[in-house]
Amino acid sequence: MAGTSSSLAAWLTTAEPQSRAQARLGHAWQGFRRLSRNPTAMAGLAIVVLLIFVAVFAPLLATHSPIASGDLRTERLLPPGPVFWLGTDDQARDIYSRLLYGSRLTLAVVILVSVIATPIGLAIGTISGYFGGWIDRILMRITDIFLAFPRLVLALAFVAALGPGIENAIIAIAITAWPPYARLARAETLTIRNSDFIHAVRLQGGSSLRILLKHIVPLCLSSVTVRVTLDMAGIILTAAGLGFLGLGAQPPTPEWGTMIAQGRRFLMDQWWVAAVPGIAIFVVSLGFNLLGDGLRDALDPKAAR
Amino acid sequence: MGLAFVSRGLAAAVFAVALASSSVFAATPKDTLVQAWQIDDIISLDPAELFEFSTTEIAGNTYERLIGYDLDDVSKMFGVVAESWTVSDDGKTISFKIREGRKFASGNPITAADVEFSLQRAVLLDKSPAFIITQFGITKDNVKDAIKATGDYTLDFTMDRPYAPSFALYALTSSVASVVDKKLVLEHEADGDLGNGWLKTHYAGSGPFTIRDWRANEVVVLERNPNFSGTPTPLSRVIYRHIPETATQRILLEKGDVDIARNLGPEQITALSGNPDIKIQRAPKGTLYYLGLNQKNPNLAKPEVREALKYLVDYSAIVDTIMKDQASVHQAFLPKGFLGAVNDNPYALDVDKAKALLAKAGLPDGFTVTMDVRSTQPITGVAEAIQSSFAKAGVKVEIIPGDGKQTLTKYRARAHDIYIGDWGSDYQDPHSNAQTFASNPDNKDDASSKTLAWRNAWPTPVLGPEVGAAILERDPAKRAALYEKLQRDVMADGPFVIMFQKTESAALRSNVQGFIMGPSFDNNLATSTSKD
Repeated sequence: MAGTSSSLAAWLTTAEPQSRAQARLGHAWQGFRRLSRNPTAMAGLAIVVLLIFVAVFAPLLATHSPIASGDLRTERLLPPGPVFWLGTDDQARDIYSRLLYGSRLTLAVVILVSVIATPIGLAIGTISGYFGGWIDRILMRITDIFLAFPRLVLALAFVAALGPGIENAIIAIAITAWPPYARLARAETLTIRNSDFIHAVRLQGGSSLRILLKHIVPLCLSSVTVRVTLDMAGIILTAAGLGFLGLGAQPPTPEWGTMIAQGRRFLMDQWWVAAVPGIAIFVVSLGFNLLGDGLRDALDPKAAR
Repeated sequence: MGLAFVSRGLAAAVFAVALASSSVFAATPKDTLVQAWQIDDIISLDPAELFEFSTTEIAGNTYERLIGYDLDDVSKMFGVVAESWTVSDDGKTISFKIREGRKFASGNPITAADVEFSLQRAVLLDKSPAFIITQFGITKDNVKDAIKATGDYTLDFTMDRPYAPSFALYALTSSVASVVDKKLVLEHEADGDLGNGWLKTHYAGSGPFTIRDWRANEVVVLERNPNFSGTPTPLSRVIYRHIPETATQRILLEKGDVDIARNLGPEQITALSGNPDIKIQRAPKGTLYYLGLNQKNPNLAKPEVREALKYLVDYSAIVDTIMKDQASVHQAFLPKGFLGAVNDNPYALDVDKAKALLAKAGLPDGFTVTMDVRSTQPITGVAEAIQSSFAKAGVKVEIIPGDGKQTLTKYRARAHDIYIGDWGSDYQDPHSNAQTFASNPDNKDDASSKTLAWRNAWPTPVLGPEVGAAILERDPAKRAALYEKLQRDVMADGPFVIMFQKTESAALRSNVQGFIMGPSFDNNLATSTSKD
């Protein structure tokens, strides 16, 4: 066992990789080694892994239904206890079970927004930076328009137009999330588009598409990834904010922001109804922020080491 | 929306500061009554148009009508703007004698011409509450003859049939019959709108208070009317502050920033009951909570589905928990206390029966339906409880939240599936509710009579004429029997799941005296309120 792992480490850290895949994996391994030396980043990673674990195994971990009401007369607004570990809300639902299922929504929002917004931002940024001229001007002015609005307000406007609901909230957040990535990708592209190796590819007859996809996008990817990870806390907060204002997930969906909105009436006497999802949002946002910080230190090729 | 969010954040910050320094004490002035209330339903302040809970209360405090009734015994009627009245031998004409020497807040004298203008205006503008007057056979074409000033201080009100006089008189106590200042209103007329555009946000009445200011979703300010002909109000100012959060209402009340909190939930009232600075005032209201099932939806149009849904609400559990102190179970369209009201409640939660009925309707697996819900408590809580109990029989409800204006506008346009709402009778006669729940003379989209039956697209070929017959019946016992039959028919087949009768609870600072909460929502009066 030890022999296998040490030979794997040697294979990953070899100075003369035999294939591209080996080089890439070795590079990733070194990134992870740098990340693992940062305790706060590892704490963030642990939180994110825990979130994924909870989201995947929510049906096994939950003790009650997250949606069906219990007995209104006897099980309503109970404090945390042995049966309802985190208490019950005003519809006699188990807050612990709702919290677990809510993690699925939170994770889904984060993943879907990243999957939608990152390619859009990368495409617009690299095209804009690589071609320059009027393409650059038009695309960057569009980006400016989106950047001119505060994110939550713009998301509110989109949700108001599309109608409330978790799918529309995801679309609205994605629409508002891409401009910073476009800016970042454009700046990176500008620094490398006149490099010798790009000229070399062009002289060999490489098309613009090939240059963009094979040479520019991979170089922009690490800084954009860091930025996306750092933004995930913001995405979670925006989704929760929309839910709180009644424009995100609709009842009885156990979305954390919606849960806070329902619990705020009881804040004075039954604090746990709003506090529990509030703490969950806080912990998960903190986790993504810590991880993002660590990733920036680990992945930034220009940072001093 | 962005601004509202910011101001909410600001308010939260202000609270944090207020809570941190307990020495901050902001008592309201002695001559000013501040009420915390949800007033997001205000659309217009024009008496010919207003038809919401908040606006009718405001109209009750600021406008006068021809006649009024004793709040303790609604059968005793007395003149307000009118001094006296007589009914003609054929029972069709009521002649009013107007009191002389009284003035509007503007200083203009109140004459029969003003009363004539006010009532005609309500008919000509034809807004939501106009049916209260047009139901007496008065139309835009004959209004000039039907409502006619016969002298400076005499007025004839002529109906097309000899209705029970009490019915006509009760109708004239409703806010749509408020007397407005003809001269002042016509000064602001634009494009023949009879001053409607101006009066939406201004005031032209003669009541104990005047409306000084309304800022949407923020505040309504009333001020003592210096030209009021009756006893001047002890208070010089009444302020309604829009506080959507019930928890915020409670904090403001405890801190003394407001004198009355109007929308506290059951948990908050229980928590406040031990506080010596605060007292709770309760009054049963003629207001019903119900679900309106739009018959344009093919599933809801099936009679078995309508009946099944009536078995899918856990009436008693909701009244004992979510609506504690706020309502009692009531399933007929006439509230307790009205002539002929049916007070037994045949429906209770019965999932098996509901499933059987749904299977009979060809929907054994249930169906999906939307519900428009005003985002205030207790409506939201009840809607979620109903969503949960409907789901037990496979009926999936998608809740569409909105503020009062959005949901009401959608409901009035018949664009909903299920609407959860409350209904207060427009005047104390049983016909008010009978007409709106059981009569729909014209089911077309552009019909002029927009009753609740119309809003839910429910034609009433049989019940409609029965409603018409009941208003002509002069024998009270026979009349009561007619209304009882109507209620049972609507209960069995109607597109309404009538659930609760409202109990209004307000929490007052203990130094507030004489705040009146009457049986109807237009007689919650601050006119004799004082503070010591």
